[in-house]
Amino acid sequence: MNGERRHAGCGEDAAPYVLGALSEQEARAFEQHVQGCAACREELDSLQGVASALPAAVTQRTAPAELRDRVLGTVRAEAKLRTAGEGRARPERERRGARRWQLTLGGLAAAAVVVLLALALAGGSGTSTRVIRAQTRAGTLASLRLTGASGQLVIASMPPSPPGHVYEVWVQRAGIARPTDALFSVTRAGRATVGVPGSLAGASAVMVTAEPDGGSAQPTSAPVIVARL
Amino acid sequence: MFKPLRSAGGERSAAHLQVLADEELMQLVYRGNADAFEVVYDRHVDAAFSLALRICRQRSVAEDVVQEAFLSLWRSGARYDHNRGSVRTWTLGIVHNRAIDALRRRAVRERGVVADEGIAERVPARERTELEFARRDEAREIREALGQLPQEQSRVIELAYFGGLTHTEIASMLDMPIGTVKGRMRLGLEKMRAALGPVGEVTA
Repeated sequence: MNGERRHAGCGEDAAPYVLGALSEQEARAFEQHVQGCAACREELDSLQGVASALPAAVTQRTAPAELRDRVLGTVRAEAKLRTAGEGRARPERERRGARRWQLTLGGLAAAAVVVLLALALAGGSGTSTRVIRAQTRAGTLASLRLTGASGQLVIASMPPSPPGHVYEVWVQRAGIARPTDALFSVTRAGRATVGVPGSLAGASAVMVTAEPDGGSAQPTSAPVIVARL
Repeated sequence: MFKPLRSAGGERSAAHLQVLADEELMQLVYRGNADAFEVVYDRHVDAAFSLALRICRQRSVAEDVVQEAFLSLWRSGARYDHNRGSVRTWTLGIVHNRAIDALRRRAVRERGVVADEGIAERVPARERTELEFARRDEAREIREALGQLPQEQSRVIELAYFGGLTHTEIASMLDMPIGTVKGRMRLGLEKMRAALGPVGEVTA
């Protein structure tokens, strides 16, 4: 329908678009319109430059040092783990370690206070999203959103990781927990949204532990979040 | 057990990274080079924080926005496309989107008030390099160009860009037709463009 309709006020929407003042729907329609309208495209290009200069108009301030520590701490930790992840072949010693930890996890599961709840949202097809309420420590509220084989941990509240530690995401398959390169910290409000790297096909659980900065190749503490698939 | 961090083109010292352009650094960031990320962070975080604070008007919210924005830049460096503007513009675009989302989500906006005078902390940003002097000049020009607009035009631009309001919301708030709001946005931006000349973006 959009394609057929001649844009009512041609050129009228470029300004609100670059200022982010169109509704989501109007913005998508304008983007589509621009594909076939040279006048609007030209207008868009020229106004975009001005709009992207607007941030410079605000009073400049210095970002807090704690913010730098938080962001760079997470980044350094993830970089380290990414590098470690390149040498994939894991020694047998580590795998045994992972199994041993699995027993600890079993203990936690037995003592679990929160009952696991799986909600099937919307009926049927492969693209629907399942929200799995995770077992957590007291004071933590988290769920795993599963769309097809990809997962996203949505943490609504969680205490900050201990000093010198980050949270690390693990994926368990056939009883063995493997590290992912997802390391994260929560915001001041205790929130985080973390994409679980890779496919969750065949996985039995997604877990989170607090690990020393840089992350670990095997868990060094009991999980604070366990979402069973 | 961890291999030492490698970067493209062999070892690069931190000092060496400092002289690279943002676009080159992003190539390294994409390959997981945390040192390169650190340089990009330091170059743009003050501008990012200033923008987030202006929009969100709460320090803690602004910090969260900047943290999320930079972590997404780190995790998805692959999506940076130099054909679509400088790294700074791209970064500030992410910050802007997230700040507006946060604003809408947390409903911290106070309608109609867009000046940032209310925020207690006013810390002059670091001014270290010639590049930053150039940016200051650019910022002054932009502030002037915005300040010289008729108030009816600057107001709709500020309400939209810094206030996160849609044209419909602005129209009902100012009690005027939507067409007028859009028209003022357009006139204002066009006047700013004329005042600024070709927007010479300062790049690193």
